[in-house]
Amino acid sequence: MVLLDELSGTARSATKGRAAAREPGGRRPALLILPALIALAVFFLYPLAVVAWSAFTDPAPGLGNFTWFFGEPGNLRTLTRTFTTALWVTLISLVLSYPYAYAMTVAGPRVRGVLTMLVLLPFWTSLMVRTFAWVILLQDTGVINQILGAFGLGPFSLIRTQTGVIIGMVQLLMPFMVLPLYAVMSGIDQRLLPAARSLGARPATAFATVYMPLSLPGVSAGCLTVFISALGFYITPALLGSPTDAMISQQIFTQVNGLLKWGRGGAMGVVLLGLTLAMIALLAVSLRRAGRRVNG
Amino acid sequence: MSKLPRSVSLAAVAASLLLAAACGGGTAGPAKVDLGSGPAKAGTIKKDALKGVNLTFVSYGGVYQKGQQDAAVDPFAKESGAQVLQDGPTDYAKVKAQVDSSNVTWDVVDSDAIWSQAQCGKLLQPLDYSIIDKSKVPAGLATQCSVPAMQYGMVFAYNAKKFGANPPKDWKDFFDTAKFPGKRAVPGVPGDAAPGPWEAALIADGVAPDKLYPLDADRAGKKLTTIRPNLVFWKTGAESQQLLESGEVDMAMLWSGRAYAAVKNGASFQIQWNQWMPIMDAISVPKGTKNPKAAMALINYYLGAQQQAKLTELTSYSPVNTDAKPTLDDLGKSFLTTRPDIASTALPIDAKWWADNQSALIEKWSAWLGG
Repeated sequence: MVLLDELSGTARSATKGRAAAREPGGRRPALLILPALIALAVFFLYPLAVVAWSAFTDPAPGLGNFTWFFGEPGNLRTLTRTFTTALWVTLISLVLSYPYAYAMTVAGPRVRGVLTMLVLLPFWTSLMVRTFAWVILLQDTGVINQILGAFGLGPFSLIRTQTGVIIGMVQLLMPFMVLPLYAVMSGIDQRLLPAARSLGARPATAFATVYMPLSLPGVSAGCLTVFISALGFYITPALLGSPTDAMISQQIFTQVNGLLKWGRGGAMGVVLLGLTLAMIALLAVSLRRAGRRVNG
Repeated sequence: MSKLPRSVSLAAVAASLLLAAACGGGTAGPAKVDLGSGPAKAGTIKKDALKGVNLTFVSYGGVYQKGQQDAAVDPFAKESGAQVLQDGPTDYAKVKAQVDSSNVTWDVVDSDAIWSQAQCGKLLQPLDYSIIDKSKVPAGLATQCSVPAMQYGMVFAYNAKKFGANPPKDWKDFFDTAKFPGKRAVPGVPGDAAPGPWEAALIADGVAPDKLYPLDADRAGKKLTTIRPNLVFWKTGAESQQLLESGEVDMAMLWSGRAYAAVKNGASFQIQWNQWMPIMDAISVPKGTKNPKAAMALINYYLGAQQQAKLTELTSYSPVNTDAKPTLDDLGKSFLTTRPDIASTALPIDAKWWADNQSALIEKWSAWLGG
């Protein structure tokens, strides 16, 4: 920024004072994030590089691990299952969280406090504890089936099925959907809806054409966070699913811990990372398009 | 792996700190250890022979590791003067990471017996049987790189209330969902394959017990597929126990120790000891450990008759010293896999064959599990 100001001759005189004042402040943030950057480099980027490196070198240099990965139909099934599970979790979370976050914005302070606590309390509880709670709720002789049984229904197989995994993951990940949605929605001017209706829009139309587009940034932030977290989930699918519903992180565990084939584990990690980054890029592009449509 | 950080260390202070953390911390070279003269005797250690020595004992946690600690490891530390830390749970990837980076902090490791045989000379070092007295270890259980840690079994448990009048007799009945309807629990431990489902499937498919090996995994897989809708896969021992206690399954193939715990907690299950499969944990020493002699002295102490008796009393697993005389109640006695009357009904499990083929078997099993 400072450099740009220096280069631009005409702007120079006009911005000189401000640029000079901003200069020390402009450098300080860089210094402030330096410890975090170093920590990230040492504890994240370096191990990541080692893992990625092992994918191409262990046990022999080349693309052997990737040929293996894409040559095994089981791996591709797992990969597809991982993405479809993550997609379902994201969609269901969104459908459940959107009205919830909306209710938080329109509710009075007391109700809003209760609604916020309902999101945050489970969020503060250990993921392990909540997953085990789901085991107790979902099992064939568990609470849910007992209640259904009292009405002559079931028992339904909920645990050790993909349904069980999705139920558990939705509950675990919903705060990551509700909170960004609420953050964006609370910034939307509530008077826009009455304004749209005063101009003749029906409630549904006003909501769909005015409110929804404005809440899109929250939707995309929430969906992205939930989707990416869901892709890497390990404990919940391991405990609530059957080995038949294994997600890719469990297969990575099999390769790394069971077979000690770290190159293969690395390759699976690289594939997952690559696909995730590709999804993010795709989403970013489509959001920019959507944003342009809304603004233009 | 060990060379990489060295070259990068110039780049950043942080990296060199990491290197220091990775290379430092250990003791300075193997200490001189005098374990005394004369042949080794299981369960003994020369008083104060290991003063100043640090060891780390690694096992699977829970009641089992606590039992090992109380029965053998802590008394060993007290007598020998060594300081022995407990760590766990056993993680093969961590053993590999330590051996590969020549920074071994796990000195004595409890693991699956087949894994220890498969890793002999790779991640694990040969044991020194001049320090370890294996004369009281049941024949054939001590191998080049490992001694047994305890014995147990993969057993067939069935709901005594449901099938009590006409109980299932063998693995054939386990696969007979018409005669014995209900869900069956079988092991589905991620990243692992061990004697159990395949052997049972082949027996049920008509293979003679002495013709099991080499295992026809494809045939076994096909047989298992026939009852797949009735199968529930347990991923941890705790889960298998919970399946019995909650009554979610009517039959189970599970570890005898977990079956014992479930029955003790009131689950109405009985064991069909016909065609049970003897299995065990093993104790071994990773390559490159700083004080192998002290590690082996600990193993020798662990194998003593008294220690083994106490371990059995604390954990319900069967002892690996033929002189061990644990004091148990009737239930505990009925779950001892060393009692003579069930010796003849066991299936002959070929641990050596499993060890030689383990990698391929894990992959085949994982593939079958993944559908």
